[in-house]
Amino acid sequence: MPKAKVNGKEIEFEPGLTVLQVAELAGEEIPRFCYHERLSIAGNCRMCLVEVKPGPPKPQASCALPAADGQEILTASPMVKKAREGVMEFLLINHPLDCPICDQGGECDLQDEAMGYGRDDSRYQENKRAVEEKYLGPLIKTVMTRCIQCTRCVRFAAEIAGAPEMGMIGRGEDAEITSYLETALTSELTGNLADICPVGALTHKPWAFNYRPWELRKTDSVDVMDALGSAIRVDARGPEVMRILPRVNEDINEEWISDKTRYVVDGLLRQRLDRPYIRQGGKLVEATWGQAFAAIAGRLRAAKPERVGLIAGDLQDAESMKAALDLFRSLGVANIDCRQDGSALGAGPRESWLFNTTIAGLEQADAVLLVGANPRREGALVNARLRKQWLRGKLQLGVIGEVADLSFEYSYLGAGAASLERLIGSDDGFAKTLNAASAPIFIVGAGVLARSDSGALLNLLGRAAQTFKVVRDDWNGWNVLHTAASRVGGLDLGFVPGPGGLSAPEMVQAANAGELDVLFLLGADEIDTEKLGDAFVVYLGTHGDAGAHRADVILPGAAYTEKPGLYVNTEGRVQLANRAVFPKGEAREDWAILRALSEAAGKRLPYDSLEQLRSRLMAEHPTFGRIDYVPGPTKAAGFDLSALGAPGAATEEPFRSPVSDYYLTNPIARASVTLAECSAMFSRRAPAIAAE
Amino acid sequence: MLDKIFTWWNGATIGALLSIKGSSNFVGEDEFGNRYFEARTNRGSYDGRKRRYVLYNGYADASKVPPDWHGWLHYTFEEPPTVQPFKVKPWEKPHVPNLTGTPLAYRPKGSILRGGERARATGDYEAWKPE
Repeated sequence: MPKAKVNGKEIEFEPGLTVLQVAELAGEEIPRFCYHERLSIAGNCRMCLVEVKPGPPKPQASCALPAADGQEILTASPMVKKAREGVMEFLLINHPLDCPICDQGGECDLQDEAMGYGRDDSRYQENKRAVEEKYLGPLIKTVMTRCIQCTRCVRFAAEIAGAPEMGMIGRGEDAEITSYLETALTSELTGNLADICPVGALTHKPWAFNYRPWELRKTDSVDVMDALGSAIRVDARGPEVMRILPRVNEDINEEWISDKTRYVVDGLLRQRLDRPYIRQGGKLVEATWGQAFAAIAGRLRAAKPERVGLIAGDLQDAESMKAALDLFRSLGVANIDCRQDGSALGAGPRESWLFNTTIAGLEQADAVLLVGANPRREGALVNARLRKQWLRGKLQLGVIGEVADLSFEYSYLGAGAASLERLIGSDDGFAKTLNAASAPIFIVGAGVLARSDSGALLNLLGRAAQTFKVVRDDWNGWNVLHTAASRVGGLDLGFVPGPGGLSAPEMVQAANAGELDVLFLLGADEIDTEKLGDAFVVYLGTHGDAGAHRADVILPGAAYTEKPGLYVNTEGRVQLANRAVFPKGEAREDWAILRALSEAAGKRLPYDSLEQLRSRLMAEHPTFGRIDYVPGPTKAAGFDLSALGAPGAATEEPFRSPVSDYYLTNPIARASVTLAECSAMFSRRAPAIAAE
Repeated sequence: MLDKIFTWWNGATIGALLSIKGSSNFVGEDEFGNRYFEARTNRGSYDGRKRRYVLYNGYADASKVPPDWHGWLHYTFEEPPTVQPFKVKPWEKPHVPNLTGTPLAYRPKGSILRGGERARATGDYEAWKPE
């Protein structure tokens, strides 16, 4: 390996690194604005100047200079200090000194680096330039006078988000960053623009002037807006969540998060259930916990177990599902389901319902078939990974399902099951690509598996996967892209109908036909709550959404930021989320509510603390004992695809993505004003058609 | 009358009344009905000046004295307002006693006693209400 000297210290490095990366390896910090590890190198801020020998007798931009063997790199010489001071002085010439009213104040790269590497005064006497604000949609606020033209946002939009709608126009003093047409960026990742902006030019519009970064209490947590389980940091001030930011997790979200994850914050404050309610004479009236439990326990005792149902929603943590499962099983109830969409998954090996390749594993793929999935809407960061791999030029994609702008090119193979059959039978076109691929991948959308003919479709997909050898002993390319954060956890727990039990859609039908006396909704809102007949509906949840409106008893629970919990993402990765704030009003953590209800129902659950519940959960379901672990795509031996589903004839209905409106998929998101605005702007807008 | 004998906050007490009336001349009365007196001699004075007194009309509260009489009471002016009245500027507001503790007391913006809406604070949330 080549060697270089950094400030006199010799260091070995991998060939191909830049001088900046080598200096970082040696533990030297190099100031930078335009350089970002995950974006292409621009080299236009000039802040990373270092002295390199041998080389021209002038400072060099280290981010864009390849390191060479025998190089001597000086990062703290007088020449470097003078050069950095000069660059900083030029940057500050046109930067307004409005830090006291700037939302970036306190977490601003320019502030920090001006303190570290700048001069203490300015010699500039002339007027500063001013730049007009740009409109970038409802999420990003611009103060373009603060912009230092690092072009990180331009590169992010073009490379990661796949929305090449930003750019720089003008030269010299007149250079401006703009979205040309002053329209909102068509991307689910726009919030990251504010994260990568090193100054306060791009900030978060919904949170403008709401907080200072140093006032906030930071809690590491896990996102539940989609099934990816992105790593997030929940920043709270007192009892209120002020913002949600991404954390680095290379396996899932790298350092980005989607807009729904980030801007759902105001949904946590609206439409909150903060006290129990009981329906009396057709109207919901406030009640105490004791009254609510007594009402439910009375109904549970009176009803036969066959006439009781339990449905879990999309945002539940594993602990609350485990507590509900234990309680209702002890009551003899078999009508238990966590698949409110009516998915056919759940029987068979665990691999059949996982995203086995893992999200990071997508970077090894060379052929991907998307079946009924629109990853942009169902998991924006899966889409970003696919785009990343596609940009490397090694990935070919095929789509069966909806035609959509996925930010990469793909071959469109058809709309429904017939196209899949045709693909199995053919041996040219995309079938040839799949056959030739060393790491072929199927990504199956949750919508495909939540239809009346899902059994047959699953079987068909299993056959297709076998045909193209998607699962081999050393490669598992079978992936289900779930949309519900609780789904894999529920399936891992066996939160599915017991012997003779009804599935969620069957429970709704039975309730409508008067064959169900009690229906317990554990945060389940995505079922047809209008058609539950005369059933006594109990809703345990956080927001006044569909379930609460129909409920006969409402039990106020805790949202995902308000309880510690285990969530299993679509890869099967068990992740621990922490509590950032406390539940609102009289609301309690879900497992504790179920524990108290069990006492009233006369079937006391055998745990008094979350630790006891967790240890029981992990003892009964060992997969939960390994936090942050996934087997990965290389261990697929023993996974039999032929056993999936049931042979039958699939209907001709085209595959559809289960997410029709990306911004409004769950009760918390539906309570958010910001996301409602986004939905009105993006989801209901007709797609732009290029005039070509 | 019983008030006057047993309490000391409903106007002057009997003792004060007798000693002031016996030793002082009536000087004048302000718009609130408080009456002002000045001792006939400087006997009992702390500093050689003739003592000046006020007998409150009703509840004894020093803030009921308007600024012109306040000035005279504290020897800022030699002559009482009856002899040398204040020139009232058009922008001057009429004197108001201290209203703290009364229903008319000042309530700052955002006070729930003001009856209006409280400004939004951190941690406030919108609770769902049925129907």
